[in-house]
Amino acid sequence: MDFSRQIILPQLGVSGQKKLKDSKILVVGAGGLGCAILPYLAAVGVGTIGIMDGDRIAASNLHRQLLYSESQIGLSKSQEAKKYLKAQFPEVSFRVFDCFLEPSNARDHLQNFDLIIDATDEISARHLLNDLSQELDIPWVYGSVHQFQGQVSVFNFENGPNYKDLFPVADTDAISCSDAGVLGTTVGMIGMLQANEAIKIVAGFGKVLSGKVLIYDLLSCTQQIFEFEKRPENNSRSEQIAFPLITIEEVFQAKLKVIDVRERDEKPEVLKENIFQIPLSTLAEKVELFDRGEEICIFCQTGKRSQTAAEILNQLGFTQIRLIKGGAKEIIGQLSNEIDQHS
Amino acid sequence: MIKVHYFGIIAEAAKSEGETISSPSIPLKSLIGDLTEKYQLDSYQFQIAVNRKIVKEMDALELKTGDEIALLPAFSGG
Repeated sequence: MDFSRQIILPQLGVSGQKKLKDSKILVVGAGGLGCAILPYLAAVGVGTIGIMDGDRIAASNLHRQLLYSESQIGLSKSQEAKKYLKAQFPEVSFRVFDCFLEPSNARDHLQNFDLIIDATDEISARHLLNDLSQELDIPWVYGSVHQFQGQVSVFNFENGPNYKDLFPVADTDAISCSDAGVLGTTVGMIGMLQANEAIKIVAGFGKVLSGKVLIYDLLSCTQQIFEFEKRPENNSRSEQIAFPLITIEEVFQAKLKVIDVRERDEKPEVLKENIFQIPLSTLAEKVELFDRGEEICIFCQTGKRSQTAAEILNQLGFTQIRLIKGGAKEIIGQLSNEIDQHS
Repeated sequence: MIKVHYFGIIAEAAKSEGETISSPSIPLKSLIGDLTEKYQLDSYQFQIAVNRKIVKEMDALELKTGDEIALLPAFSGG
């Protein structure tokens, strides 16, 4: 794939293109929004794309879900979307989840992705997505449509506000596209804005719609941006204890004990002497491996679970707790440097 | 003059994209109460923005001439 026309954008460049290639993005929903988002993620060079949808293709979908055709009615949306995209973008790794987002499967499916894009059509699914992405510390791009209007925002990005800070109460009576009516151009437009936010987040340029909700009205061709903040009731962590930070270089130099509190199958895998793999969910049972007075350093993917782990250890009487600056990726980077220096 | 904007299902309930309130000043809570009664918005969930910032608590807010408010429901479709 030739990305030369986008790599010459100074905001993207070669380094941004590599970030896109290294990224793993899950699109939840392969309907109207999903069909707009997915081809642009694949075309821009995202390395791994997850497609989740348990729905089947219906005749009434075809006017706005352009990845499908009449001969595919009754077939799985997620499987057929993958077939279409794989033929056009063979270098992209696709992961298909032929199911709906449910409390029973959400954690397993979400935790292996760096970013999630909401292309669902239910508010209850967005509440589930919000809770899990906050727990797993994964940002997500929200998009939804009502007739000729659409909303776009980014939640849980760099400790920013989340969906419940914007809409604290679930409106179970809100109506879907099938009830309210929708044009393909409206979901196409909103999906495109979501894909664009995803590209900016992954490649690290531009101003992300965090703490802001954009409302686009296609009848008047106007857009408005509304700002919002965290609500204290959704963010009890605001009174969290400030544990001292330590760099991974200092940890290795002093040969301190390290706890990796991520789940066992999370990547990148960090294997080294003195690094103990103890998922947060089992930490309280494993504390007897350590002395309460010794220095314990903790890391996870981005820092949220480390803070929770530190609070657990603090409550259990540990006095020398350190949080490692950066996440697993930086630790892997430091390990690679060490190997280079010794080779 | 205070401008009010409606979005999504609230615009459908009000049968309008917005309106102008001629009062020079009014407590936000009173205005929302009036609009809720006028358009029967009791059963809808929506957020309120004043001058494009969503407010967490409307009790103490007094609107004045030139302010713009918006009634923002969550959209659902996708």
